Amino acid sequence: MSINPAIPAPDQTSTPLEPIEMPNRITGWRLVVRGRLNKICLAIVGIYFLVGLLSLLPAPSQIGLGNVPGFKSIKSFDQLIDYKYDPDQPYAPPALSYKDSQGIRHYSPAMWFGLDFSGHSVFWQVLYGARTALLITVLTSVLMLSIGTSLGMIAGYFGGWIDDIITWVYSVIGTIPWLLLVIAMTYILSSNESLKEPPTHAPGPVAAFFKNILPTDLLIVIFALGLTDWVSLCRLIRGETLKLRDSDMVAAGRALGLSELRIIFRHILPNVSHLIIITFTLSAVGYLQVEVVLSFLQLGVSSKPSWGHMIDDAKLTLLRGVWWEVTAATGAIFIICMALTLLGDSLRDALDPKLRGRD
Amino acid sequence: MAKDQQPLLEINGLNIGFDTNRGQLRPVRDVSYSIFPGQTLAVVGESGCGKSVTALSILRLIPSPPGRVLGGEIRFEQRNLLGLTEKEMRSVRGKDIAMIFQEPMTSLNPVYTIGDQIVEAITLHQGVSTRQAYKIAEQALADVGIADPAKRIAAYPHQMSGGMRQRVMIAMALSCQPKLLIADEPTTALDVTIQAQILELLRKLQHETGMAILLITHDLGVVAENADTVAVMYASRVVEFATVEDLFDKPLHPYTEGLFRSVPKLGEEQHSRLQTIPGNVPNPANFPSGCKFHTRCPKARELAASMPADQLVKITFGEEQVNVPRVCVQQEPTLRAVEPNHWAACHFAENYATAPVTTPQSNHRREVTSELAPGRAAGSAVAQ
Repeated sequence: MSINPAIPAPDQTSTPLEPIEMPNRITGWRLVVRGRLNKICLAIVGIYFLVGLLSLLPAPSQIGLGNVPGFKSIKSFDQLIDYKYDPDQPYAPPALSYKDSQGIRHYSPAMWFGLDFSGHSVFWQVLYGARTALLITVLTSVLMLSIGTSLGMIAGYFGGWIDDIITWVYSVIGTIPWLLLVIAMTYILSSNESLKEPPTHAPGPVAAFFKNILPTDLLIVIFALGLTDWVSLCRLIRGETLKLRDSDMVAAGRALGLSELRIIFRHILPNVSHLIIITFTLSAVGYLQVEVVLSFLQLGVSSKPSWGHMIDDAKLTLLRGVWWEVTAATGAIFIICMALTLLGDSLRDALDPKLRGRD
Repeated sequence: MAKDQQPLLEINGLNIGFDTNRGQLRPVRDVSYSIFPGQTLAVVGESGCGKSVTALSILRLIPSPPGRVLGGEIRFEQRNLLGLTEKEMRSVRGKDIAMIFQEPMTSLNPVYTIGDQIVEAITLHQGVSTRQAYKIAEQALADVGIADPAKRIAAYPHQMSGGMRQRVMIAMALSCQPKLLIADEPTTALDVTIQAQILELLRKLQHETGMAILLITHDLGVVAENADTVAVMYASRVVEFATVEDLFDKPLHPYTEGLFRSVPKLGEEQHSRLQTIPGNVPNPANFPSGCKFHTRCPKARELAASMPADQLVKITFGEEQVNVPRVCVQQEPTLRAVEPNHWAACHFAENYATAPVTTPQSNHRREVTSELAPGRAAGSAVAQ
C-alpha cells in the first residue's frame, strides 16, 4: 500500500491550526486611517460630503411638516440662498447677527461670512457650493473612470485593431492641452440647443430632478471634464491589462471556461483597482480647481451657487474692500483640496506595495 | 477496458502555424495521438518541441492572432473541438477538460480567496447555489490533501506555499469532475519532495474519478512512474508513440534512445561522463529538411559507414563534415507501426535493417491523418 505523505492518516490527531491572520483587503484602509493627519483629512472630506448631502434635503414645509412646531422655521438650502437679508445694505461685512425689516435682531450663521452684492448670505452660498463641487467631482470622476477603465481594459485585453483604434483616439486627445480642450468642449455643449432646457418631455419628477439638482450648466461642466480627462487613466490601465493578459492567472481562468467579459471585469478589474482609486483622489482635486477656472471664464455653473461662480462675482468688488466673499469661497476650496491631496497621497502609499514601509 | 472502446480524445494530423514578422512558424506538424478514458498519456520532449502548444490547442487557448490551426482535427468524445463555437467551447473548458499549469505561484488571482476562485468554477459549470458550491469546494480542498480546508478556504493565494497552491489549482480543475485533465508540467516549479506528493495525488485522484490525464513533462522519471502511453515529440512532430513498457524496453527512435542515455543513473560508474545528445534543438524558423533529427542523429552516422556512397550525403556536424544517409536528409519519415503497438518516425527503425518504403512526399499528410491512429491501437494494447 502506498502511503500518501500529504494526507494525514485519519487516526492521527492533527494539531489545530493557529487562526490565520488575514492581512486582507482592508490593510490599505487601515494604513490610511492610522495617521492623525489622515484622520483629520478624512473628517474634513466627510463633513463636506455631509453638507453636500444635507443641502439636498427639502424644507419641512415643502414635504408637509410646515405645521410641526420645531420644524416650522427651518428652510431648505434653496430657500436660504434665495433669502435677501438686507436689501438696503448689500455688502454687509461678517457679523454674528442681523436686523430684519422690523428691526428685530436675529442671531444666525447667515451673517458669519457677510452678504454679497445682492444681500444674499455668503455663508449659505459657501455651504451650497460644497454640493455643486461634490456633484462635479463625483459625477465627473464616475464618467472619467468608467470611460478610462473600460477603454483601457478593452484595448489591453483584446489588442489588435481594437487596441490600435483606442490608442489612436487617446493619443490624439492627449496631444491637445487639457484646459483648451475643456473650454472647447464646454462651448460645443453649451451651443447645443437641445441642451439649453431641461428635458421637458420627461415626467415631472425627472424634470424637477434635473432642474433642481443637475441643471444644464452643471451637466455641461461634468461632461466637458469627464469626456476629456480619461486619457492618462486609460493609458495606465491599458499597460497594466497588457501585463495581466499574458499572466497564468488569465490563462487559468480561460482554461476554466470563463467568458472574456467575466475575466475582464471580475479578474482584471480588481487587479487594476489601485490605479483607479489613486487616479480618483488625485483628479478630484483637479476638477474642483478647473470648475473655478471655467466659472472665471464665464463657462462654469451660473444657475446655482458654486465656489467658482462666487470668486468670479467677488473679483470686481474686491477693490472696494469686500474681501469676505472671495475669502470664504477660496478657503472652502483650499481646505477640501488640501484634505483630498493628503488623502490621495497616503492612499497611494498604502495601495502601492512598492512604496509600503517607506517614509 | 473494452476493446471497442472509443478514445476520449483523439488528435489527428494537427498542424498549427504562428504568423510572425519573419514568416510563418510551424510549431506543431502532423501531430496525432489519442487518450482513452482513465489512461495517462505522457507527452515528452525538449522545450519548444510543440508539446505545450498542442495541449493548449485542445482547449483552443492558443492566442489568435498570431496562432492558427492549419489543419487536422481534435476529437473529444467524437466531437471535433475545432468546429465548436466559442460559447460551446467555454462549456467544454473546465467542465469536460480542465488544465493545470506549470506555475502555481501566478495561476491564482491574488485578490480573491482560493475559496472564491474554486466556487467560481463550480457555479459556472454545475448550476448549484453558492452555499452548495462552497461545500463542494471545501470537499475538493480536502480531497487534494489540504489540512483544515474549512479555514483554508478563506485564505488568499499569497498565504500558501507553491505546493499548496498547486493543490488548490488541482482542486479547482477537478471540482467539476472533468473527463480529461491536461497537466502542463505540473511539477516543474516545485521542489522534488513536493513533486512526488503532487504526482501521487494526481494518481490517487485519477484512480478515484477515472479521468484521463494528459501529462506534459520532460522528466522521464515522471513518465515511467505515471504514464500508460508515451508520445515523444521532437521539433514539432511526434517521433515515437508506444506504451510505457515498450518505450522503456526498446526505444525505436534514436532521439528517444538519446533521451534515455542522458538521464543520470544511480550506480553508474563514478566520474563517467553523462551522455548528451550532441547539438541543439533546431530553431522552428529554420527546421532542417527531411528527418528533423538527422543533424544530431548518431544512428544516421553509424549507418552511413556501412552504406554505399551513392546513398550518402555530406552534412556539417559541429565543425566536421559527416556522411549521413541521403534518405534522412531528403525525406521526412512518417510515424508508422514498426512493431505491434509501437510507432516510430525513423527510416531505419526496423533495427537499422531494411531501407524504408519510399512514399511520395505529397501524400504524406493524408497518410498520417487517415491511417494513423496510434492511440486507438495502443489503447487496445493496454487493454489486452
